[in-house]
Amino acid sequence: METAARMRAVPTEAGNRFAERALRLRVAGVLAFLLLLAIGFTSASPRFLTVGNARIIAFNAAILVIAAAAEALVVLTRNLDVSVGSVMGLAGYLAADLIARAPGLGFAVILVPLAIGALLGLLNGVLVAYGRVPSLVATLGTLSIYRGVTFIYARGQEVTSTKLPRWMLRGADAMVAGIPSLVIVAAVVVVILALLLDVRPRFRQLYAVGSNPQAAHFYGLRTKRVVLLAYVLAGFLAGLAGFLYAARVGTVTVILARGWEMSALAAVVIGGVSIQGGSGNLVGVALGAVVLATIDNGLVLLRVPEFWRMFIQGTAIVLAVSVDALIDGRIRRMLELRRAGRRL
Amino acid sequence: MSKKRVFASLMLATCLVPAGAASAAGKHYRLFMTPKWTGFPYFERAAAGAKAAAEELGDQFVYAGADHADVQLQVQTLQNFLAQKPNGIMLAAIDLNAVAPVLKQARSKGIVVTTFDADAATPARDFFANQMSYEQAAKTMLDCALLDAPEGGEVAFVAAAPTAPNHMAHIKYMKQFIETDPKYKVFKVVDTQFAQDDDAKSYDVAVNLMQAHPNLKVIISSSAVSAPAGARAIVATGKAGKVFSTGFALPSAIKGYLKDGSEKAFALWDPYELGYLAAWVTHMALDGKLSKTPGTKFTAGKIGQYTVGKDGEIVYGKALIFTPDNVDKYDF
Amino acid sequence: MANASWLLRRWEPLLLVLIVLAGAWSASLSPYYLNLDQLLDSSRNFVIPGLLAIGLVPVVLTGEIDLSLGSILAVGTILLAKLALLGVPLGLAVVALVLVGGALGLLNGVLVARFGLPSLAVTLGTMGAYRGIAFIIGSEEGYTDFGPGYLWLGETSLRAILPVALVFFVLVVLLFALLVHFTVFGRRLFAIGGSIEAARFTGLRVTQIKIQTYVLSGVLAALAALVWIGQYGSARADNADGVILLVITAVVLGGVDINGARGTVLGVTLSVLLLGTLTNGMGLANVPGPTQTVVFGSLLVLSVLISNVIRWRTT
Repeated sequence: METAARMRAVPTEAGNRFAERALRLRVAGVLAFLLLLAIGFTSASPRFLTVGNARIIAFNAAILVIAAAAEALVVLTRNLDVSVGSVMGLAGYLAADLIARAPGLGFAVILVPLAIGALLGLLNGVLVAYGRVPSLVATLGTLSIYRGVTFIYARGQEVTSTKLPRWMLRGADAMVAGIPSLVIVAAVVVVILALLLDVRPRFRQLYAVGSNPQAAHFYGLRTKRVVLLAYVLAGFLAGLAGFLYAARVGTVTVILARGWEMSALAAVVIGGVSIQGGSGNLVGVALGAVVLATIDNGLVLLRVPEFWRMFIQGTAIVLAVSVDALIDGRIRRMLELRRAGRRL
Repeated sequence: MSKKRVFASLMLATCLVPAGAASAAGKHYRLFMTPKWTGFPYFERAAAGAKAAAEELGDQFVYAGADHADVQLQVQTLQNFLAQKPNGIMLAAIDLNAVAPVLKQARSKGIVVTTFDADAATPARDFFANQMSYEQAAKTMLDCALLDAPEGGEVAFVAAAPTAPNHMAHIKYMKQFIETDPKYKVFKVVDTQFAQDDDAKSYDVAVNLMQAHPNLKVIISSSAVSAPAGARAIVATGKAGKVFSTGFALPSAIKGYLKDGSEKAFALWDPYELGYLAAWVTHMALDGKLSKTPGTKFTAGKIGQYTVGKDGEIVYGKALIFTPDNVDKYDF
Repeated sequence: MANASWLLRRWEPLLLVLIVLAGAWSASLSPYYLNLDQLLDSSRNFVIPGLLAIGLVPVVLTGEIDLSLGSILAVGTILLAKLALLGVPLGLAVVALVLVGGALGLLNGVLVARFGLPSLAVTLGTMGAYRGIAFIIGSEEGYTDFGPGYLWLGETSLRAILPVALVFFVLVVLLFALLVHFTVFGRRLFAIGGSIEAARFTGLRVTQIKIQTYVLSGVLAALAALVWIGQYGSARADNADGVILLVITAVVLGGVDINGARGTVLGVTLSVLLLGTLTNGMGLANVPGPTQTVVFGSLLVLSVLISNVIRWRTT
């Protein structure tokens, strides 16, 4: 009886409006935080608020946006993917190595990291959805496995930037109408994903599965397939991010993108995606990545030692989670009131 | 499980060199080498040189290490070496003090410890094969900076970490020469940053330096990882020709930048000969034929005569400066 | 009842078998393995991750997690380094160490239990924040000057053969085994992990108990820092960066359910020994680090998969 009532409570019109309002509030919160940072840094350093600097922040954030989007898809389903960095590394390294050996492949080589990423994501998804391995454990394992495979494949050698084709290196640096190409790619990814999540039922199911897996199951959703989809997509995006990162950094080592899962998770959490799944949107995630890049950039301009960044990032995560819990608590209390009101 | 055993045995086999048939007078030793991290062409080449020396001398050679510059992992590698009872250990230390305890333990067991490229704390090692004296290294890098920007300007230094004695010494001497030597007075030091010998970090550091110092002219990197990353960052941010990256780098890593004109000069030495020297020195020390007295001269196999300096430091000293004209001569 | 499926159903005996197999494999990989001196000395491979893993058990039993243990250790090593420079005697330094570790753990506990924040996200944040604190205090320097006695716990071996750190580890294991399996406190952990609401209804002070588990894990991580500086002879702010992966592997491999309410201290101890044996054997054979992590990652995933399969077939 209780479960049925709870099931009914969420999909109602009023409930939806509240959730959406809270979500918009949360994204507004990230925006407000970003503005606060901007004001703070501008007053401390005149070089912050320039077009050139904004470009640098966007450039630095671009790849993280894509990695964070990957992570977000999985987190929405109430799961985790800590293998994002290793997927980026393996996909990026394979692509770089392949194009260095066979430059004739040209632009088609980009299919390789995408396919590999999707495959690696598939393995993650199978382990979590069908093997019923807890997602933290499964992706912790694949984090090590994928990184190890990168090393074994590479026999420990790096791919120097002189071996990479010009179009790859120049493409990563290129600008279109004054906007870095990587930023455009990131923006396109975010827009497409946001639209899909908003419109396509298959994607909306990510939210349903994340907010209440049992209810979603009883409702008739193929929860396992949905989780699998999330992981495959995440792997696909991580593969893309890995390729772009390899192109940007130039010298591709076996430790490419090590630790990126932490940054991606940080961006996701700061961007308002609930770690318990079921709520959040990609605009927030993109903003979360921009917040992290802004903090980095501001610290450099202020000549603050780089390791303060760790402290600030960590604190930002704790704050973000606290704010979410606060909002979540408010929503729940509102929904209880509504439900109580309807029964009278 | 048998597959894993075969695999592991294969990995073991690729590291070992069967004791050579030909050998000079003297015993056969087991020489172990660990770099700052494996997979970096600079260290791989040094290992190749050390292996060649070991083969000439009839010694066994083992090369192992972590795949990235991690202090803990290097200490663990050294501890694992100890358990395998080598005769000599050669290493490029990431943190001069962190490796001191395990190296002291090694020396107390009669193992000869030789550092190369990056020194450990002096009491922890027997000899140090230094590529160039710190003063010479500093002068070489400043000379390259002059080739990039003869009119001078603001310079920033990039080192691996405050615990890298060679990099810190380079910076100390570079600052000193900029103060005192009229040739280098055109430069002004504005910043020093640390990049942990990490590519991505070096790239970010370079971007950040250019952000923080809009009039920056040259980024001078002691680390052969940071110099090419800096060159890359300069091209990526569209500042080629306005800002220069120089310092020590492998010719293969910066060939492209010399050719396309965005950079004018880098420097290095041949790591193959440096590794060769380190192995030769270790063998001679094990034979008891190398004294630590400053001024002692000796011949290191095929690569010439060297002199032992203060505190067991042996300077290799052959600097190479790469310019667009000569970079094609080198294949490493 | 000694047939194969019974063996597989009990996790701890399976681990024991795996340890023996791992030992045999290690012996085949390297002639230096089977040597008492070497074996005891190799305990340094697993004592520190082991201490952290044991400390994590009560937290995981209640259904939570703590990712910040490596960072707490780093704060510990830097704290000890700074105190040593100030000439603080060892006894006082250890007290300060325990207080700081406990305080950092307390903060975690309060955020998770009192404010109800999801422990994964919170400790992800504190992992970064505490690491940042270690860097802010210690900068990028390495510290090697320690006062008299500081290094004793980590570097001494009794009668030149039995590492004190190993003895310390065994003591901690016994203590925690007692705590978790033979006290009321321990039973309450399982109750909370099973169902928070039910535990609350029976009057358990869930918040207080959860906070206590976090303080415990923080204190243990701080004590591990004391072992660390003895083992390595140096302290840096990046100490134990990434150790949490190995620690969680040890906990899960030890049969502890990441969702709570199931697991034994013995299981985690055995899995720590197993991972230590593998690390030692592969290290002696100079197997590269990343290859080692493939082995560990696979072990982690396979162990859960296999236990799942067994559970499905027996229900």
